[in-house]
Amino acid sequence: MTEFLAFTITGIVTGAIYAVAASGLVVTYTTSGIFNFAHGAIGMVMAFLYWQLRVHFHWPAPIALFVVLFVLAPLFGALIERVLMRNVRGSDTGVALMVTLGLLLTLMGVAFWRFKQTEPRALPEFFAGNSVRIFSVNVSWHELISIAVAIAVAAFLRVLLYRTRTGVAMRAVVDDRDLTALNGGRPSRVSALSWALGSMLAALAGILLAPKLSLNVLALTFLVIDAYAAAIVGQLKNLPLTFAGAVALGLGEAYAVGYLPTSGFLSHIKPSLPMLFLFAVLLFLPQVRLRVGRVVGGRSVRVPSWREVGLAGVGLVVASWILASILKGPDLASMGQGLALGIIMLSLVLLAGYGGQTSLCQMTFVGIGAVVASKISHGSSPIGILAAAGAAGLVGAIISLPALRLTGLYLALSTLAFAVLADNLFFLQVFGGGGGNVFRRLSLLGISFDGQVAFTVLLSVVFVLMAAFVLAIRRGPFGRLLSAMKDSPAACATLGLDLTRTKVGVFALSAAMAGVGGAFFGGLRGSIGSLDFYYIQSLVLLLMVTIGGIMTVSGAFLGGLFLGPGFYLLGKVIHIDGLTFLLAGLGAMTIARSPNGIVGQISAAVDRFRKQPVREDDIVEVEVTQEVEGIVAPVG
Amino acid sequence: MSLLSVEEVSVRFGGVMALQDVELTADPGRVTGLIGPNGAGKTTLFNVITGLQEPTNGRVKIDDQDVSGLKAHQRARMGLARTFQRLEVFGSLTARENVLVAAEIRRRWSKDGSNPKEVAEAVLERVGITSAANERVDAMPTGLARLVELARALAANPRLLLLDEPGSGLDTQETEAFGDLLLELANEGLAILLVEHDVELVMRVCQLIHVLDFGKKIAEGPPSKIKADPRVQAAYLGADEDAAPEEEVVPG
Repeated sequence: MTEFLAFTITGIVTGAIYAVAASGLVVTYTTSGIFNFAHGAIGMVMAFLYWQLRVHFHWPAPIALFVVLFVLAPLFGALIERVLMRNVRGSDTGVALMVTLGLLLTLMGVAFWRFKQTEPRALPEFFAGNSVRIFSVNVSWHELISIAVAIAVAAFLRVLLYRTRTGVAMRAVVDDRDLTALNGGRPSRVSALSWALGSMLAALAGILLAPKLSLNVLALTFLVIDAYAAAIVGQLKNLPLTFAGAVALGLGEAYAVGYLPTSGFLSHIKPSLPMLFLFAVLLFLPQVRLRVGRVVGGRSVRVPSWREVGLAGVGLVVASWILASILKGPDLASMGQGLALGIIMLSLVLLAGYGGQTSLCQMTFVGIGAVVASKISHGSSPIGILAAAGAAGLVGAIISLPALRLTGLYLALSTLAFAVLADNLFFLQVFGGGGGNVFRRLSLLGISFDGQVAFTVLLSVVFVLMAAFVLAIRRGPFGRLLSAMKDSPAACATLGLDLTRTKVGVFALSAAMAGVGGAFFGGLRGSIGSLDFYYIQSLVLLLMVTIGGIMTVSGAFLGGLFLGPGFYLLGKVIHIDGLTFLLAGLGAMTIARSPNGIVGQISAAVDRFRKQPVREDDIVEVEVTQEVEGIVAPVG
Repeated sequence: MSLLSVEEVSVRFGGVMALQDVELTADPGRVTGLIGPNGAGKTTLFNVITGLQEPTNGRVKIDDQDVSGLKAHQRARMGLARTFQRLEVFGSLTARENVLVAAEIRRRWSKDGSNPKEVAEAVLERVGITSAANERVDAMPTGLARLVELARALAANPRLLLLDEPGSGLDTQETEAFGDLLLELANEGLAILLVEHDVELVMRVCQLIHVLDFGKKIAEGPPSKIKADPRVQAAYLGADEDAAPEEEVVPG
């Protein structure tokens, strides 16, 4: 009984902290319509700043708390609203997703850089050492404070949103921004205020959580991510349900720690619980209605002719051959890495660029492909590649099914959840905690591609073939269908198209391509481990292909080039931890201004150079269209 | 037995009744008009019929079969096609590709062995937009884009065509030609349900007109009877004839 009570109290405390974090997420989402993927990272960074003031500078706790919670956090929240989110509003979910993911990685990068993870840090609990005895259980003051804070936050939000002018304005902005402005409200001020508040709540949750864990960038960012699951229970708008969800989640975790075996498969349930929870909730959410009343379009990049594709392809293979013969050691390996990542990124061009859908678990499919391929003659058999495609495609179809009836945001969330689940429940099992599996290289029709040069050239050939495959889809009926579905799902449905089936089809195809990428990725590495497929890698991959240009195969090539050799070379010059995160994140935050990435910028520049007067007209037309979109957006 | 019958359909958005016990039928070979002032619920009714909006009450029947539980794409496969008051064109595609996609989607589910390219060319020709076929639709003027939507709907080879203000954005001459096309299509056996603010056009092409006001049907009959109906005149004809074309506001 004592044991049960102890677990219950721990669960309520964790739940209380989740509730604080989740309510911050809900406040920003409902007032700005933007789901802030960086919410957890903000809490993490603020916890580190608090540590800096409290422990490193020896400031008294009340002053350090005041500075972080009432100065730094709200200022930071308002700043990101002003600088970043303003450009995002009115564009589609995809752009908001990239920008907040970019912020997430940037903050992680900054934390890795400024707070080296090799130095141990600990944040003391509030009133450490003090506790009260409730029945036979010791409850620390820190825990009691956490619960009290959650209750205070709930009461505060209730009063703010329903009893004050500002709060009513906040809720009004959600419903209709333009109407609020017409009635004398100031939507931009209200929006900045809600981001400040959201950031404060994230900071509060981070500071309450930090003493219970070590001050670790990944763990802290991730634990606040767990709050997503709670926020989904309230469908991102209902605060009481969000609080209930948070407490249920906290209790579930505590009991899982208490009563599940400490070894074997079930022991991994605890870290996976929030994500399992998220999945379960998604299954029960009602289907969203199709939105009608938008004009979508925007600039798309020209599709190259087959002749151009052929020339570019041959050129790439020849160039790779020459470079591969010159380069040695790690230089050559980074080149292979770039090509392999490019192959994987092609799967995202199909899914996100053409199909308009998101996957935050593409590296998980890569991992599944690699693991399956490694089971068949250790990766050296072509059959292994087919099996990799099949397995990844099948898994892709299954996991996308529940989320595809919902909106894009939920697909992003559930793929993220899946990536985390796969880390805990699959990759850790297969590799046993980071250790590598041996992976042999492909051998085809008696030719072995075992040598580094041969395999690098093979990778370039595979990239060209996959790119041609993606382009063939783009030019054919299926590509047309994908464009149509991206522009107007409602019109497609009223023409007789089964949207869910088509979306699952694209998702599975893209996952299968990632699986093939995995087979080659494994061959390149020679050994694979769970860290290769860690969920953060999927985020980096998606952001890098977006920076390159997710609408085009050349964008995938550029993305691979940056993420492989590019970062490898930069790393030789700039010695800071978290450089990849920092650059990928910062790059992604510019996406609101150029959704077609670097390739889009280049092709626009080339067009301007080639035929100035004609294009000028084009640009004007597109701007007008976008304005129309802004006005008609919020229907039904 | 009508091709389409709407029975006792009501839709509630929060505290507002967008539709209340609406009854309506559409039959092959004629153009049925659906008119009413802004906010009368016409577009909402179209959404209910095509499966984009679930009614709070009531049924939609196609060939006497209750399709209330069917999704939009399943209803489309029973022969429904529509255009949208607020354009739902495939903006990043050309007019030809817009129509081609529709023909390809149709071939996918009907397996009728039709050649999508031929279907698309024929439909473009018929609607009279072949000359603009290679233009991207998001750069087109609204009137032309509406014709692309009409062509796209026709490429699905429907039995019942629902047109939501197809005439707005067309000039007098184009409206004239458009009216002829509707009559021609009806003569070939197509059932057409037409929502339109251009009263003259409606009176010319419709054999039967239903009038909605604040979600309720207030009149039904041939053009002559509708014109003379005092309730219709009060609610609609006299009031804001000049105000068209305006956007209908769908709450929620």
